Amino acid sequence: MQLKQESNNLTSNRDHSDVIVCLKDVSVAYGKNIALYKINLDIEKGEFIGIVGPNGSGKTTLLKTVLGLIKPIQGNIRLFNQNIDGKIPREIKNKISYIPQFTPFDKNFPALVEDVVMMGRYNKIGMFRVPSKEDRERVKHALELVKMDNMAHRPIGHLSGGQQQKVMIAQALATSPSILLLDEPTSALDFKMTKNVMDILTQLNKTYGITIVTIHHNLRIIKEYTKRVIAINKTLVYDGSPNDSQFDEIIDEMYI
Amino acid sequence: MGSFLDFFYALANYSWMQRAFYTALIVGIVGGIIGVFILLKGMVFLGQAIAHTAFAGAALAILLGIEPLYIIIIFGVIAALGVGYVNEKKIMKEDIIIGVIFTFFMALAIIFITLNKQYSTDVNAILFGNILLVSKLNFVVLIITLGIVGVLILGLKKEYYLITFNSDIATVSGIPVKLLEYLLLILLALTIDVSLKAIGAILVFAMIVTPAAAAYQWTFKINKMLLLSSLIGVISSIGGLFLSYLLNLSSGATIVSLSTLIFLFSFIMSPKRIKTGFTTAECKFCRHVINGESYCLDEPECRALDIPHYHDDKGIIILKKDIKPLSTPTKHKHDKEEEK
Repeated sequence: MQLKQESNNLTSNRDHSDVIVCLKDVSVAYGKNIALYKINLDIEKGEFIGIVGPNGSGKTTLLKTVLGLIKPIQGNIRLFNQNIDGKIPREIKNKISYIPQFTPFDKNFPALVEDVVMMGRYNKIGMFRVPSKEDRERVKHALELVKMDNMAHRPIGHLSGGQQQKVMIAQALATSPSILLLDEPTSALDFKMTKNVMDILTQLNKTYGITIVTIHHNLRIIKEYTKRVIAINKTLVYDGSPNDSQFDEIIDEMYI
Repeated sequence: MGSFLDFFYALANYSWMQRAFYTALIVGIVGGIIGVFILLKGMVFLGQAIAHTAFAGAALAILLGIEPLYIIIIFGVIAALGVGYVNEKKIMKEDIIIGVIFTFFMALAIIFITLNKQYSTDVNAILFGNILLVSKLNFVVLIITLGIVGVLILGLKKEYYLITFNSDIATVSGIPVKLLEYLLLILLALTIDVSLKAIGAILVFAMIVTPAAAAYQWTFKINKMLLLSSLIGVISSIGGLFLSYLLNLSSGATIVSLSTLIFLFSFIMSPKRIKTGFTTAECKFCRHVINGESYCLDEPECRALDIPHYHDDKGIIILKKDIKPLSTPTKHKHDKEEEK
């Protein structure tokens, strides 16, 4: 319930000048290899953005740079109107959720679905503490949002790929984030399940105002679900509507 | 059954037997607890390397004529930090590090032992251990150290659980992953170091891995796994102490053999393995693996969609033949081919 209230507050305060992620001339390198070169990017509250690009173009690197997992060699990152220099402060980390590229779980990993979702709340609970009743309520609510509450007591490894991905979304939601970054959330899923997951993301975006940034390979899905698409090939090559004819040209160029 | 009663007589009357008993108890509990996270994190071999470094430390201490415990602890902690650093920076592949470090420290240990002209019984004691000969100093250090290790691991249970699940998510959510990983390696090194005298350098690592591996076979819940792992640790260490006394065998070897027996039993009887046999069953219609809630969710074109091939609440599949179809499924192409 509280998630709903928090999110409603977010939407009511919504302002189009609200830039929550701002990258200025950000470059990233692995050793001597430049992975990203002078990226300029603004993400506003409440947007639903798709990121496309060929393999090795730096899409994942871009997400990881925003998340503070990789340090840029130059440039400036602002998150929620705060300059990030080195470590991301805790109150900002609490607003960001991340779902890494899908790797199937070990079938026997000792975790139930509800345990996995509870992991999303660990940073709020804090070290040397146990989850409270409120934490359990949040977990239940997050599972309801992705319609997986009936499977709370199943081992995570026993679910299908799509169901596992929905659990990961629930885990990300358990922190009640303002922005959700996803790395190819549907790469392992068939078309039906892909749509199912994208519908859930759309609902989260529309109903709760959660900003969603997702890397995607399927252009058809991008065009159907997102209003803004960012194409990356070491540097920013396109930023705009996915239904623009210019986007199609750039995609043709980039993939040939 | 004289020696059977002897055991309990000794336990009631002699302090060396009481020390052995409490040593077995706490090594069993704490080894079981830390083992769970070592196993889930996939650090089993890193731990093995640490154990052998500790042995080199012990050999050096004997050569220099110092109390081995201090040198062992210093060696162990340095090894933990070194292994952790090389592993973190991805300087080389994990198995190569272990192969190189492991053998180098064994070589060092052998050099130290051969430099020490007269073969000392101390070396034997460190290699094979004897739980009945745990000194007072060693006992006190062991109880304090393992107490701290146990409390820290249980206190940071959530964090280690998330790190073993996915360290990227852990980092993003603000958990100091690198720090905690180093801490885990140091706690592991300490556990190995203080238990060395009781179990022996060659076998001590089994006290950490085997109970956790046995517990892994039984449950999908982390708390239950921690509980089971330390329970199995205690059963094997105290059972092993008792059996070794009764049969006059090496205590470390008996303890490890007993825990291996429990592991084998768990592996064979594991509900996970038995279930796996079912879950990897193919759907007759789409040839897709049946899993989870399983209306063949992965395969939308499957014509068996309307035949429920469920798991029940315990995760056991009720086979299709046991359930009447909700409606007659339309036939596949390959069904028609089969009919021909």
